[in-house]
Amino acid sequence: MTTILSTTDLTKTYYKGSIDIPVLRGVSLDVAEGEFVSVAGRSGSGKSTFLNLVGGLDTATGGRIVIHGAELSAMDRRELARHRRDTVGMVFQSFNLIQSRTALENVTLALAFGDHPRRDRRRRASEILTRVGLGDRLDHTPGELSGGEAQRVAIARALANAPDVLLADEPTGNLDSRTSDEIVSLLRRLRDDGDLTVIMVTHDEPMAASVSDRVLRLLDGRLVEETRAGEAP
Amino acid sequence: MRFGDLFQLSLENLWRTRLRSSLTTLGVVIGIGVLVSMVSFGTGIQKNVTEGFRESDLFTSMEVLPTEIDLEDVMSGNIEIPEGEIRPLGDEAVEAIRAIPGVEVAFPEVRFPVRIEFGEREARTHLRAIPSLMADYRPFTDLPHGRFFENDDEPSIILSQRFLRNVGIVVAEGLEGSGGDGGAAEGGEASAGEGEDEDELVAVPVDSILGREVEVVTSVLDASGLLQALTQGMSRATDMPLREETVTLTVIGIQPQLTGFGGSRFLGGVLVPTGTAEGIPRLGFTSIWEALGPSDDAGGYPSVYVRVKTMRDLETVREAVEEMGYGVVAIADQLEEFKRNFLIMDALLGAVGTVALIIASLGIINTMVTSILERTREIGIMKAIGGSEGDIRKIFFVEAATIGVLGGVFGLVLGWVVTRIANVFANHYLRPEGFAAVDFFFIPLWLIMGAIAFAVAVSLLAGVYPAVRAARVDPVQALRHD
Repeated sequence: MTTILSTTDLTKTYYKGSIDIPVLRGVSLDVAEGEFVSVAGRSGSGKSTFLNLVGGLDTATGGRIVIHGAELSAMDRRELARHRRDTVGMVFQSFNLIQSRTALENVTLALAFGDHPRRDRRRRASEILTRVGLGDRLDHTPGELSGGEAQRVAIARALANAPDVLLADEPTGNLDSRTSDEIVSLLRRLRDDGDLTVIMVTHDEPMAASVSDRVLRLLDGRLVEETRAGEAP
Repeated sequence: MRFGDLFQLSLENLWRTRLRSSLTTLGVVIGIGVLVSMVSFGTGIQKNVTEGFRESDLFTSMEVLPTEIDLEDVMSGNIEIPEGEIRPLGDEAVEAIRAIPGVEVAFPEVRFPVRIEFGEREARTHLRAIPSLMADYRPFTDLPHGRFFENDDEPSIILSQRFLRNVGIVVAEGLEGSGGDGGAAEGGEASAGEGEDEDELVAVPVDSILGREVEVVTSVLDASGLLQALTQGMSRATDMPLREETVTLTVIGIQPQLTGFGGSRFLGGVLVPTGTAEGIPRLGFTSIWEALGPSDDAGGYPSVYVRVKTMRDLETVREAVEEMGYGVVAIADQLEEFKRNFLIMDALLGAVGTVALIIASLGIINTMVTSILERTREIGIMKAIGGSEGDIRKIFFVEAATIGVLGGVFGLVLGWVVTRIANVFANHYLRPEGFAAVDFFFIPLWLIMGAIAFAVAVSLLAGVYPAVRAARVDPVQALRHD
């Protein structure tokens, strides 16, 4: 299996005045293409920061991130924007949909950033929304959707520009357990259907273990444990 | 991101906050409206004056005076009896001027007071002799009614509209609803006639005015009366040794209305061909000045009107005439100064509008910065799903530009409406004074383009800071933002 993501000694330190706050203290890992990896840990363990670094929303203080053969730390801001657009898709705990736009429009906005031809956008957006089970909710705004539905819209938006890696930051954090199960199953199904790699950050280890190929545990900015599917934790 | 998408997104964003957007745009609308109406007033006045000059051939004409004259004094209205050598302007001088290359027409000023009997009514006015040669020149090329003289000896007369009013007549078309004081004569009318009574104005069709005969009555010295006066002494002031002579002429035309700007010096009063005018008996002087002048040379004219072929001939002809020892007044001399003054006026008027626009641009900055604060999360989302800093910058830029374009276009409309209304008011007050309707405002193409371009430029400038600030939003912070 080819490695799609590789981090080496990744560090991130926030500076608040004269105080250094190290969040990641050297994280090295490899993720294979098509793998479903979960990063588990308590809040403050640095797992969201890790995802933001891989997603190109934030820049690392030290170490390397190589994704699909390209090194993120060497990218300028424009290349990072392209990385966010084409290589990764991000899903957040709070959905982060644009409230004034319908489900369809939230997805077509991502396609617009992706320079898709105008006339293809609606078709492609409704295709993806149908794939995540929202074929009948295209014209509803986030306010008219349930949490699970909103998160499906967010997933559809993340997939709009056909990324290699889906990065999900606590995607079930705002959902009840039944809806959470539906969402993680959807992520799993999407991975199974195509050549998508999924990296999910969560604090819910049992849930992570139930869907992931691998669960990594992060504590105080360091990887402390790794469990493969089928192994006992 | 494509421009169409940027534009659509901007419109959506503006629409979402439509109250705020429209208030901000209104600021630009008012700024541009003020700017357009101010500048269009400047250009309108300039256009009217320049066209008035051209129409009355001021750029190709000059006045020859019997002495050198200081133009500054003429412009300031400080006309004194010129000192220094006075060279009488006689018929020989007129002939000599006519012979200068580049001169098309030269004729002396012959103008004297008359009383004209028009049917039952009569009015005092002045009579001016105009050669039939002037048929080719404005304002005689476009008489509103009738025709100009065909030769210098025809027994014809051309009346002014003010004269007709003075005998209680208006030409039966337009001029309705003209109220106010018609007696405030402007534009060269010698005196208000006795027959003038605004309430009794009668509209009469042109056909019944043209072809009508009028009596031109002049006063001449009565030789027998003079003798009587000399021998018996003047017992009463009314015993002036004058008697009246009457000449009958046919009305063949009516002069155009005077406009407020550069109205022709030939208009007003009544016009008669030169030969015919010569045949009208009159006192040997046309004014007190002439009567009291040092020369009693009857052939000395107060001035000679000279028209040259082109503006370029003006200088050479002027030099030739000055060499002859005469004074020359040409308004063209003042053209450069006029232009400079207009430029200053335009700049001042434009400055007022610019200040309004600067205030409007502060409104844009304020609105956009507020918008960024409100949309921080949205900016973060757009960055997370692939929007580049350039995209974000452009979205805010296009929003600012859209405010600018809308503000510019509607500001132009506002400016136009304001100038139309102001024009109606201005003309409402001027028309009863005997002026033809004038457009005081002029919105040339460059002003239309310039106003919109200026609005967009100011809006873009106002959008720079917000756009840069929006692009710099940290997505991690923004997505944590509530």
